[in-house]
Amino acid sequence: MKQLNIKINGKQFHLMVKEHEMLSTVIREKAGLTGTKIGCEQGSCGACTVLINNEAVLSCISPALRYENAEITTIEALAKDGVLHKLQKKFVEKGAIQCGFCTPGMVLTALSLTPSLNLEDGMEVLTRQVKEGLSGNLCRCTGYKKVIDAVVEYAIESSESIEEDVEPLSSSVAVGVSRPYIEAEKKVKGAAEYADDIVMKNTLHCKLLRSKYPHAKIVEIDTSEALKLDGVHYIATGKELPITFGVLPISQDETAMAVDKVRYVGEVVAAVAADSEGIAGEACKLIKITYKQLQPFLNIDESLNDVGENERIHDTGKFNNNIHKKAELRFGDQQKGLTEADVTTKMSFEFLGINHGFTEPHAATAFWDENGLTITTATQVPHYLHRALAKVMEVPLSRVRVIKPYLGGGFGGKSDPFPHEMIVSHLARKTGRPVRVRLSREEVFITNHGRHPSKMSVEMGVSLNGEFKALDADIAIDGGAYGSFGVVTSYYNGVLLQAPYKLDNFGFRAFRVNTNKPQCGAMRGHGAVNSRFAVESIIDDLAMKINIDPCKLRLQNFLTSNTQTVGQYRITSNGSREALLKVMEQSEWDKKIGTLESGHGLGVACGFFISGSALPIIWNELPQSVVHLKLDFDGRVLVTSGSSDIGQGSDTMLAIIVAEVLGISMDKIFVLAADTLLTPVDFGSYSSRVTFMAGNAAKDAAENLKKEIIEAIVKAKGVDAEELSFSDSRVFSFDKAVDLSWMETVDILTAKRGAVSVSGKYISPKLGGDFKGAGAGLSPSYTFGACIAEVKVDIETGQVKVMNVWGAHDCGKAINPMAVEGQLEGSWHMGVGQAISEQMKYYKGLLLNNNFLDYKIPTSLDTPDIHANIIETIDPEGPFGAKEAGEGAIHPVIPAIANAVFNAVGVRITKLPINAEDVLAQIRDHQISNNK
Amino acid sequence: MLTEQGYIKAKSVEEAFVNANNHLDGFRYVAGGTDVIVNKFQGNEDAQILIDISGIEELKHIKIKEDYIEIGALTKLDDLKKHNIISDRFPSLIEAAEAVASPVIRKTATIGGNILCENRCTFYNQSEWWRSAAGYCLKCNGDICIATGGKNNCLSKFVSDTAIVLISIDAKIEVSDHQQTSIIPIESIYSGDGVNSRNLSKTALLKSILISNTEEYQTIYKKLRQRETIDFGSLMTAVSLNNEKVKIVLGGVDPKPIVVEGNIEDDLNELILQATKKARTVDNDVYSRKYRKEMIAVFLKRSLQELKLM
Ligand SMILES: Cc1cc2nc3c(=O)[nH]c(=O)nc-3n(C[C@H](O)[C@H](O)[C@H](O)COP(=O)(O)OP(=O)(O)OC[C@H]3O[C@@H](n4cnc5c(N)ncnc54)[C@H](O)[C@@H]3O)c2cc1C
Ligand code: FES
Ligand code: FES
Repeated sequence: MKQLNIKINGKQFHLMVKEHEMLSTVIREKAGLTGTKIGCEQGSCGACTVLINNEAVLSCISPALRYENAEITTIEALAKDGVLHKLQKKFVEKGAIQCGFCTPGMVLTALSLTPSLNLEDGMEVLTRQVKEGLSGNLCRCTGYKKVIDAVVEYAIESSESIEEDVEPLSSSVAVGVSRPYIEAEKKVKGAAEYADDIVMKNTLHCKLLRSKYPHAKIVEIDTSEALKLDGVHYIATGKELPITFGVLPISQDETAMAVDKVRYVGEVVAAVAADSEGIAGEACKLIKITYKQLQPFLNIDESLNDVGENERIHDTGKFNNNIHKKAELRFGDQQKGLTEADVTTKMSFEFLGINHGFTEPHAATAFWDENGLTITTATQVPHYLHRALAKVMEVPLSRVRVIKPYLGGGFGGKSDPFPHEMIVSHLARKTGRPVRVRLSREEVFITNHGRHPSKMSVEMGVSLNGEFKALDADIAIDGGAYGSFGVVTSYYNGVLLQAPYKLDNFGFRAFRVNTNKPQCGAMRGHGAVNSRFAVESIIDDLAMKINIDPCKLRLQNFLTSNTQTVGQYRITSNGSREALLKVMEQSEWDKKIGTLESGHGLGVACGFFISGSALPIIWNELPQSVVHLKLDFDGRVLVTSGSSDIGQGSDTMLAIIVAEVLGISMDKIFVLAADTLLTPVDFGSYSSRVTFMAGNAAKDAAENLKKEIIEAIVKAKGVDAEELSFSDSRVFSFDKAVDLSWMETVDILTAKRGAVSVSGKYISPKLGGDFKGAGAGLSPSYTFGACIAEVKVDIETGQVKVMNVWGAHDCGKAINPMAVEGQLEGSWHMGVGQAISEQMKYYKGLLLNNNFLDYKIPTSLDTPDIHANIIETIDPEGPFGAKEAGEGAIHPVIPAIANAVFNAVGVRITKLPINAEDVLAQIRDHQISNNK
Repeated sequence: MLTEQGYIKAKSVEEAFVNANNHLDGFRYVAGGTDVIVNKFQGNEDAQILIDISGIEELKHIKIKEDYIEIGALTKLDDLKKHNIISDRFPSLIEAAEAVASPVIRKTATIGGNILCENRCTFYNQSEWWRSAAGYCLKCNGDICIATGGKNNCLSKFVSDTAIVLISIDAKIEVSDHQQTSIIPIESIYSGDGVNSRNLSKTALLKSILISNTEEYQTIYKKLRQRETIDFGSLMTAVSLNNEKVKIVLGGVDPKPIVVEGNIEDDLNELILQATKKARTVDNDVYSRKYRKEMIAVFLKRSLQELKLM
């Protein structure tokens, strides 16, 4: 240890630091300034950026002792006297903040960048410089677009020293007005606390010991040496927590730690609670485990086969193989449809696994007290975690409290109950102290639950006049070692293909296999991203064969509004047509298509997704969502909801809806969400259900509160209930005989009664058929969209560059248009990643690219210009007509890019990510065959 | 027993040497640290004593002399472009510097550190845990190369972006190891052995880089990688033309830079072939060996075309 004298944000610190300690831990842990985030610890994400003498520095790879007597500026120092820095204001106003985890680093990088920007040479040059300058700062949420806009505007305005006047948002209209998230300021100041930022006193630190073998029996675990280490308090192993869990009731196949065998490299085998992370880590190294290795199964084909003498991964299931689930549904007669078709195309596809890549690593702190267990953890589904913890800890549901703090992105990757959550809960109980854990980026990658690697063969037929006759899909997905959402994923791969096109003969068969790799689960666009890719690629091919423009072929086949699919999905609002027409117009499709030179191409694709799963994961009769409102003497409406804001803006959505119904301004609303003790159950942030379901529950609650208010005013003032309007924070009758301010209204309501609490709920209508499997993909509403992508392909290297994405998504009604755009831009950015660079690569079951340098999320320079269009169709059952916007948009972008590659160079992409090598090989084959 | 960890800030070249000599059994110089520290995080760098040389003022200069330009080893990559003479005369050096890592890293990373940054391999640049699970490779004291299955040779790839441009313009470096200071061509320090990829003595300090201020070079630099930023190169090429002389330098495809020299009169395709043949490329990268090998010719042809030689 050495003394370090350092000034952070103007304050002098004299700290004892370890010789090789990094500046990031000094700032976060010693100075307590947790606005500086840790996303990778390897210099590849930018979350930890701070300023040292006004220059941006990555604090995670900067030795602290280098900075003796230096002046450090962290995000916390940017706002002065409570007033945001102009750049921070821009970030807020422009909607550049979603989960907010990248924001502090992004803001500081941008700030150090602006003095060097050249403003003289026009917007294009300026934008390019900003993209370049921010290119080491990863953002997984925004697609960078709004971030770049914010920085560019700031640069221009600060050079011209314009005092910009932001128009105050009109107070009476809430729905449909773009606005920043309610917590945006907190995030931009670095004040929002994420799971790893929350520090409790007397906390122990947990480190996890992970298996080095993909498939092996645990013969013996010897913790004796590790226990001797000073500072070690407890070492837990699998046998102590034998109860299985899993997000789906049918796949309760995982334990907190491996009990008698390990099923993937990285599975937790033991866990240490110690005085520091360092000691816990040392102790892990001293634990001796004897394994007996078993034959591993590492890919789909191996796992589909009979295992012979070898041991299966799980000993459940009737057959001697590693098939976890078979899902099959058929409607109409596909064989007949294919025979009747004039032209058919059958293609095989292969997709590698994709990781969510959220910037905030998992972290959690658990403790026990007179109320039982409390855990604060980065989760998308407090409710399911609540249930899983009660089960595994063997305590009543009433003894578990799950709190979700601010969350640095999820995208499905924080929507399962996780082993580390069980483990810290257990360690906290055993030691009687709070226990915290945070995963390294490598651990996040091996925890995975990402998109399934898949193989599929899909066939479609069309008549010469362009009518789709049949679709048949044969799918196998690689689930990794455990179940997760996999059964649902298996169905979604198939069922979500029955729209947006009218198909009378449709069917699929999907196998999910277990392999000895980290498990796969739900990720943005759950289940249907890969199979959608297949279908949209085939449609492109069919269009070519029957010589119809691929846009027109799609337009011709869209389902209408208010109809039913062959599998009995009820389609209500449907903006497919508007979406596609919009992007055709914006991209000038008609003008350009067929006229571009070789190497330059346009491609189109469409999408379809659920807007919330109509059925709960665990069968019960609870409403899908309940929202409570409390209005007390102070005039503030407290909204409590179990829904999880993971950066998508759901807290703000709830506030807007309540404000709209009650005609009050947003500052009169306080949202308390995602605390299973304080807030009513909402099933969580998955299946794109929150706006539709929690939004509807909030609307219902607000209407109930309105009724209460009306009743009180009618009684007090003797007006007719129908006479009363709520607007501009006033309640008045048409003739203004009654004209009350909000506070007067509240006085009347609460007189002799006190605070008024009301409840609202959302229950999905009964939907769907009554055949087995009919429940899969049922949703009270569906979303639709289209993308056109423009690519340039280098015909000598095979490299593909996505130039533009024009996208349109039918979200019913944009409650907060800026937030919807953010979701769309983020979705398309993520899709571009899967299309061109992202993949999970394994070597003998070990994940090769387990960090942000090797797992290639597009940077600001790799992200094309994205043109987002919101299509509004006003869904009859959505709150104010709203449907989802968080997931569905990702579907069309990936095949649009691949189809553009075909248009550019005649190469049909059947594997993702698009590999320059394959493209090049095919270009050459092409040239050879053309020359013949 | 491991020695205790230490962090020593050297204020002069002399101080750096003294401390280095005091800790011969386990020290590492740290300039920007952007390479060392990440390797340390992954457990590939285990020096207990870090000698921070980033405060040595005498190595931060850029001197424009009549016959040569001297760039102090501690010059930050981001600062190079601020010197008009360098950006005017050697735009490809700036291009290469700007192709290193990310903008924020380049504000810390030095040119000296870039010239000396560690070779890389998919199977080596992994965490300690990962490597112990996969089995240690030759470069981390194991006895088999995972990339090739071979037992003798580590062919980790050379990755410095600036070095290949510097070699193409015949730059020299001033290296000092307390006893003596010598000025040598940059390429001479690379051993070609993937494990110990530099020929320098342990305590040697790279003091400065010397580029001719009289010769006229035209250089084309190119880098193959998946993303437009951050990523290390899977192949880097620098092709320079100086009077009649053509110099081709490759990075990312061999444990050391590949250098092929010729004359504009030569059969340039033959030079390309030579360079391609010389590269001992293995499957240790995101792109396959085959593809990287193929791209050598594509990149070189394009470069020669840009130089109007083809
Ligand atoms: C995310 C990320 C991406 C990266 N991408 C690239 C890339 O694309 N291309 C690339 O080339 N590099 C890349 N790097 C590596 C590194 O950032 C650069 O090579 C950088 O230039 C190294 O400079 P440094 O000053 O930080 O070196 P350091 O890390 O300080 O040192 C590197 C090595 O050189 C030695 N050394 C440094 N200076 C001297 C000296 N004067 N005398 C003697 N020995 C010395 C050190 O002991 C050490 O062995 C990347 C790093 C990260 C974290
Ligand atoms: S945490 Fe420092 S760059 Fe990612
Ligand atoms: S807002 Fe950038 S990572 Fe979430």
